[in-house]
This record gives sequence, structure tokens and C-alpha cells, in this order.
Amino acid sequence: MLKFEMKKFFLKMTTKVILTAFLLVIVILCFMAVDSVHYTDTDGNELTGISRAAAGRRLAADENKWKGELTPEKITEIAESYHELMQQYQGDYPAVEYGRTVQSYWEILYFASEMFTPDYIRALEDMDRVAEKDIAHIYGAYTDNLKNMAQEYGTTPEQEKFLEEQYGQIQIPVTYKAFDSWDTMATHAEMYILISVIVIGFLAAGIFDEEFRNHAELVFFTAKYGRSKAVINKIAAGVITTTIIYWAGIGILSLISFGIIGWSGFNTPYQITAPYSFYVITQGQRYFLTMVCGYIASLLSASVTMFITAKMHTLKAAVVIPFFMYHVLIFIGRPLSEVTSLSCFTPNVLIEIDRQLRHPHIFQIGNVVFRQVPFVMVLYAIVSIILLPFIFRSYSGYDSAKNLRRKS
Amino acid sequence: MELRFKNVSKKYGEVFAVNDVSYSMETGVYGLLGVNGAGKTTLMTMLCAVTRPTTGEITWDGNDIFKLGERYRDLLGYLPQNFGFYPDLSVSDYMMYIASIKGIRPAAAKKRLKELLEMVGLSKYRDRKMKALSGGMARRVGIAQAMLNDPKILVLDEPTAGLDPSERIRFRNLISELAADRLVLLSTHIVSDVEFIAEQIILMKAGKFFFTGTSDELIAGMEADVWNCKVFGNKVNEYMQKYPVGNVKHVSGGVELRILSKTPPSENAVREVPALEDAFLLYFGEKAGDEDAEI
Repeated sequence: MLKFEMKKFFLKMTTKVILTAFLLVIVILCFMAVDSVHYTDTDGNELTGISRAAAGRRLAADENKWKGELTPEKITEIAESYHELMQQYQGDYPAVEYGRTVQSYWEILYFASEMFTPDYIRALEDMDRVAEKDIAHIYGAYTDNLKNMAQEYGTTPEQEKFLEEQYGQIQIPVTYKAFDSWDTMATHAEMYILISVIVIGFLAAGIFDEEFRNHAELVFFTAKYGRSKAVINKIAAGVITTTIIYWAGIGILSLISFGIIGWSGFNTPYQITAPYSFYVITQGQRYFLTMVCGYIASLLSASVTMFITAKMHTLKAAVVIPFFMYHVLIFIGRPLSEVTSLSCFTPNVLIEIDRQLRHPHIFQIGNVVFRQVPFVMVLYAIVSIILLPFIFRSYSGYDSAKNLRRKS
Repeated sequence: MELRFKNVSKKYGEVFAVNDVSYSMETGVYGLLGVNGAGKTTLMTMLCAVTRPTTGEITWDGNDIFKLGERYRDLLGYLPQNFGFYPDLSVSDYMMYIASIKGIRPAAAKKRLKELLEMVGLSKYRDRKMKALSGGMARRVGIAQAMLNDPKILVLDEPTAGLDPSERIRFRNLISELAADRLVLLSTHIVSDVEFIAEQIILMKAGKFFFTGTSDELIAGMEADVWNCKVFGNKVNEYMQKYPVGNVKHVSGGVELRILSKTPPSENAVREVPALEDAFLLYFGEKAGDEDAEI
């Protein structure tokens, strides 16, 4: 039964057209990911055209000159090198210098500057003044700043303690390895997820719409298992196709992109990108977290659209819902977050995970303090699962008279 | 083996599609006749447990069909009036899918599929996409799918809609073959579909049964005779207003009319043997049509 349900799904012309377009989008995203990595060679020329494909690996090779523990000595060497250049060229060093030296340590220098201040704009402005600071005690300054963050964002003793514990897990000194490919791919994975939630929601809804669209519902519901196993198989088909499409899509995107730009830096701490994030994870874990959140978002999208279609017998309404759940809420959520913390729990959080990882959103119920991202992940995974019996109930309880009334 | 409905009504808003109908059916072919909008399809969907009656109950061997659920649907084969299918599946895939939701094991389904496609003359089209079939061929697949589970109750709603005359004859013969040991309820507004194969005729009008019995009983109960008379062309309208007229045939020197009347409509009128179509004309006030309806 499931085999034919899947066959019905994949043989549909709409499915074929949408999946072909989706594949095309994935290829475009791969191109964008590869194209977003910039590399300037030692002659000061930025790689362009087809040679751009080598940018990721060449950049990583350059940056990996600094791999290992970022000791104060290493940071001093970098900071002084940059400071000298800035002085030599009065703040406007040529592309040749960028290609020869700056490019390889830019990320480290910015991280070092951020360790002195949580204000990322000031950190950017202060990059050439890192050498003037007390680099020998850079980790001391960083630890103090983390403590201040814990005090600032921990509004209760429990929250403050929780934040201190989280920050306490950051390994000091930080171990560095070039991670640009993971950073780039986290951004492009989010773009992929933004599209996949719509595509998957639409396709999954079609599983529950096709009987009505093709006027095949009477044969379906009068069959022995038309109100039981057949409906369960439809739900299973929805979940399986969601899983296949989502993971196949992100798999293709990841394989092609990482294959071209390289995968150096899986174990590089996320703190190099976001020093004050209390999610103590690696760059690779951050990417997997993004992918898993995207999968939960896709499952939720599929569950919601399947439910609405099972209820309304048309996918017209169902296609709008994922757009509202994710895309509209992204825009509404940001101003809304100024007014209420509820915006921290809306489904769009799942598809902009990188933004959430940077912000110290913590909540407390009684003495239990919890972080936003795991909470939202669990919440919407549960919602996706809870909706399944409701889909079953709505679809299997079909009454043709109600449908006739609805049509008229 | 008894399918019984007792005081069954179905109301849509203020309108009764089926109004307080009671009847009992056992094995054999039952022809449900009525004009468009008589309530045939609503009755059929209730018998197939896809529409719940507003009042009354439908039972199979004394058990409520809605409570029987799967056990009742296991006995059921249904060809709806608007038979829809999955256009991108091949004929055999479509049949195998329906077999699977009917709970037939794949090996048995394959064997049954072969038999049924042979029976409806579609063996060589088994790999053709459903969307590439003609209307008549799709209808034949519809009949085959209804037969997949060898149903005890076969409900066919306007089964000959879209079939050409030769396919209609073939279909009628097929139903006759299938009728043994099962209950076949055949709804139509085309009298010739049921005239020779239905053992019991049910006439339905405005949601009610107003005749149930055999074809002979129906004809015998007609309170009019059937006459054939030849009139001048300019008199046709006059006769049509005065009598129910079945056939109008232009012949040399005038027009031949088939008229229902207690008395001879003209001096040259010749009494004819009444047929089911005449009864339909008499009771429904119109000729058996060929259009499709959904109520």
C-alpha cells in the first residue's frame, strides 16, 4: 500500500515539475555558496570565473597556517602584523598585502578584537588596535566579558548560574582551524530551508488532496482500509517523502558545496564566529543543528499542510500556511521581539537558527532554566507528531454529504 | 444476506434528497430508476457508508453498516457516478493500489487483476496510463476495480455513463454474469440499462420510492395503455400536450407517435406491448434521459 502511495506521489506531474525546479534551485544555491567564498592570491588578484571554485580550499590552506591553539603569543603576532600594515599604508593596505597575509588571519583578528568587547561593531572598528591592548591577558578579558554577559542576561540567580555554567564550557585557549566552508554553508543551508519548507508543505498537502482533485475519494473511502490503514499509509507517505526530499536536497547541496569548497574546520568552536553565544558547539555541529532544525521545520510544514488539506479537502489554503508560518513571521517576529518574548517560540525560529544561536535567549519555569533553540526544536517536533492523529481523524472521518455542502 | 434501510432520510438544508425510505435487498440485480435529482446518488453513497443518513438506519444482516465499518466495506464494490482515478498511474498500478486498500494480498491481487482486465477487455492496456484511456475504457476500469474484492454488494451508480452503445450491451451482459450470489444495485436514468437484467425495479422520485417490484409488475400496474398512431405533422404538438408521448417518428405521410392513454388517442391507433420505458414515461412524466446528475 505504501509502495503505491509513494508511486502515486512521485509519478504525479506536479511532483515531477516541482522537484525538478527544486533541484535547479539547489544547484543555484551550490553555485551561490561556492561563489560567496572570496580568495585573493599573493599577487592581489581575487579569483574569478571558474577558478573561483578553488577559492574555498586555497583560503583554508592559507588560514590553516594558524591552526591550533590561539595562544596570546599567536594572537600578538597576528595583531602586530596587522597593526604594522595599517600604519605602513595608513589604513589602506593594498590587495597584495591582503592576499599575502591579512586574508589568512582576518577571522582570528576579528575574534581577538571581539574577545575584548561584546560590541561587534566596536570590535570591527578596533581591529587595528588589538596590538595596543593587553593581549597577554586576552582570555582574562574574554572571561570577564562572559561573566558580565551572564550577569546582564541572567535576570534571576538561576539564569545567571545557568549562563555561567554554559560559558564555563568554552575551552580556553580556543583551538582554531579554518572554518569558512562551514560558515558559508550554514548561511546557504538556511536559504535552502527557507525554500524547502514551502516546497515540502505543498507536496505533502498534495497527498491528501489528490483523491478530491481527481474525484477518486468515493472509491478510496469505500475500500476496506479506506478509513484506516490507507490513511495511515498516506500519513506515512507524507512523513517519508518529507524526509527523503529534505535530506536528499540538503545532502546534494552539502555534498556539492563541501566537495568544492572543502570541509576544513568541523571541530572549530562556534565561539570564533560568535564569541558570546552560550551554545558551546563546533562549526560542524552548528551546521548539523541548522540541518536538523530545517528538518523539524519541514516536518511541521508537512504536518500542518496535510492537516489543513485533510480537513478542507483542498490544498489552496494549505499552501499559504507555511509561507505565513515561516516567511511572514520572520518579518513580524523581529519587531515583535521588542514587545514580547513569544516571538522566541514562533516556528520561524527553526529556519533562522544562526541568528538565534548568537542571542542569549533563556527562559525559566520554576527553577528550570532552558535555552530557546532546544526548546523550540522539541516543541515543534512534538507538534508535528501530535498533528498526525488529527490528520488521520480528519481524513478518515470523511462524509461525502459534508463535502457536497462545502462545494455548494 | 440482507441489506435493509429503515426510514432513511437525508436532508441538505431544508431539502430532503432522500425522504423516509424503507426497503430490503438480498441477492440479485436491483435497478434504481429515477430522473436526475431524484436522490439516487445520495441513497447510494449512504448505502456505501460515505454519507450518514440524517435519520433512519441502514443494516447489513441486522448490523448497522456504519458500526460494521471495515467489515462492511470488505463486502462492498462501488463504482461512483463520477468515477475518478489517479491519472499518472498505469492501469495495473491503479488496480494494484485499489487492491491494496481493499486488503487484497499482492499475489492474489495480481491474479485477480489479470482476470478482471480480461473480463473488461483491457488486458492489452494494463501498462497504459489511466489518463490516456478513453472515457469508456476508464469506466471499464471502474467496473473492474469495483469487482476486485469479489464483493457481496456491488453498487453501480450510472455505470453506463460515457459508454458507447456496444459497450453498454457488453456491460449489461457483464452485470448479468456477475449477479449470481451477490447483491447488485444499479442506479441509472437509462431504462434500457436495467430493463433486461434487473430482477427488481425501484422507481425513485423526489427522494421517495414510489414503486418497487419486478419489471412485469411495474408494467402491469400501468394505468394506461400504449398506443401507436399516425398523425399529420401539424397535429403533433396537440397530441404531445394531451398525452405522454414516448416516440416521435417521421414517416411518409405523417408522424408516428407512441402514446400512453387509457383510451385510443385516435381512430387508427394500434395497441402496443408496453415496455419499461413506457412506465418510466408514465410515472416520471418525461422520457428516460441520457444526462448525468449528482444528487
